[in-house]
Amino acid sequence: MGLKKYRGIERKQARWGFIFVVPSMLFFSLFSFYPIINAIYTSFFDKRALSKAPPKFLGLGNYIRLFDPARAASSLSFYNSLRATLVFTLGTFIPLLILSLMIAVFISNLSSNRTKKFLQISYYCPAILSSVVAATIWMIIFDPRGLGNQWINALLGTPGVDQGWLVDPVMEQVSTMVIYFWKYIGYFVILFITGLASIPPTIYEAATIDGATKWQVFWRITLPLLKPTVVLVSVMAMLQCLKTFSTQYMLYSNGAPRAPINVITFNIYVTGIQQQYLGRASAMSVVLFIMMLLLTLLQFKTTKSENVDY
Amino acid sequence: MQIERKITLPKIGMSLVLLAMLFFTLMPIVFMISASFMTSRQILRMPFSWIPEGFAWENFTKAIQGNDQTYIFVRNISNSLIVSTTVAVTTVLIASLTGYGLAKFRFRGRTTIFMMIMATMMIPFEAIMIPLYMVIMMLRIQNSYVGLILPFLVSAFGVFQMKQYLTTFPTEFIDAARVDGMGEFGIYLRIVLPNCKPVIATLAILSFRSQWDNLLWPLLVSQSDKMKTIPQYISNFALERSTDEGAMMAAALLASIPMFLLFMSLTKYFIGGSAVYESRKG
Repeated sequence: MGLKKYRGIERKQARWGFIFVVPSMLFFSLFSFYPIINAIYTSFFDKRALSKAPPKFLGLGNYIRLFDPARAASSLSFYNSLRATLVFTLGTFIPLLILSLMIAVFISNLSSNRTKKFLQISYYCPAILSSVVAATIWMIIFDPRGLGNQWINALLGTPGVDQGWLVDPVMEQVSTMVIYFWKYIGYFVILFITGLASIPPTIYEAATIDGATKWQVFWRITLPLLKPTVVLVSVMAMLQCLKTFSTQYMLYSNGAPRAPINVITFNIYVTGIQQQYLGRASAMSVVLFIMMLLLTLLQFKTTKSENVDY
Repeated sequence: MQIERKITLPKIGMSLVLLAMLFFTLMPIVFMISASFMTSRQILRMPFSWIPEGFAWENFTKAIQGNDQTYIFVRNISNSLIVSTTVAVTTVLIASLTGYGLAKFRFRGRTTIFMMIMATMMIPFEAIMIPLYMVIMMLRIQNSYVGLILPFLVSAFGVFQMKQYLTTFPTEFIDAARVDGMGEFGIYLRIVLPNCKPVIATLAILSFRSQWDNLLWPLLVSQSDKMKTIPQYISNFALERSTDEGAMMAAALLASIPMFLLFMSLTKYFIGGSAVYESRKG
């Protein structure tokens, strides 16, 4: 009898657990799973927002168009978007990774806790500003008469040269990278400091007693033990960079040429929302989704085999 | 003597790198503040002087009045506050409810549901914005708070964070409350929620900030000026006042004040909040 009653209570509780989960299940079905399935479905059609006629089925037509070699030369092609995204991602995440790791190690080597905290907070400050504000500030710094030119020219000893920060195709890409790097450096420094703090100090003590130099300690102990954090941070940084939009949007809408910074997200926005080619934009979305999916799976695979126990 | 030198030289190098980075991160912020009090001519003068000559207060009046003297800035920044606050509240409520259900109850399909929610982390918003935009058009909720808020009611990351936190929550508290005859929802509201303040603060800040910074979705949803959010305001203002750098910086500064205040009062949770991502590897 008692057992039966107990089971009844368990089942009642189980029902409550299920009820608590229902709102999230509804939300994620409607606003994550349904849209991604819809994006895949729409990518097979020639769907336009303004046309009343039922969209024409294209099969893989939208994808073939995106990857059509004949269009590769066109400056606003999807190939160019892939290139722009790749250049931006590599050009941003590699400096972010290396410098944030370096600075995190330097900060952990400081003796004063106050300085440590002050530096972390200061480096984090740009992350509080919204991307739009960040882009606005840098657009003025990158003005032909602005601070960017004044300092670069003072540094290189070339007075009066305009570097064309927002005009020259190469410099324009560099500018977006600088803005992004500036905004996220503090965030990644803090991630690495947390990772460093989780390495027990006894390991360092043992190494120092054995006569290891600081340099050796870094390459032989810190870096291998930090590998899970490094993998995590690099994948996170890459995923972030693949999704960049605001910086490019701001520079473009203030007159910078579009082709060099026409990253995938920006291309989706222009094609789908401004030009109303929803099918074509959906095909781009699916490509972006697959790229990010592969990266995330790679992260799971590497982190699973790399778990370290101290 | 020699040993001392061996230690100090790399230390000087390190300090120089740290100082250079400090200058790089803070310089643009100082520039924004100081330029917001300057006239455009002063801002773009060569060489640049950091101290404003007098205060160009008209920058701030221009920033608030907007391009056409409609004071739409006030409405737009309120919109951002409303949307960000609502998203922070709903994220905390729904994520904690789900996290509690997943962490402390055993029911069929529990693991599957958790895995499904985690899987949505792999779907970037940028990839589903076109279908979401079609939904918004279909439901005719463009230019409304509902349209701005709906796709962000809760986040998979929030559910994950809450579940991780609540798994370590002592079950005895919950059982004791049950013995006392408290209802299941009452337990959640009065025992569980008040005991996860740190994780709530972190999650609320993250959600608030992600909406405060959101430009892409409002661009799709809000076409009418009244329903625009502050990133759109700055973007439009910078476009139409492109020669008035002082006013641009004043608008940027005003738009950053709420986040600065939040950061000043809750620094611990900002810094801790980014570190929480670390737990994802476990």
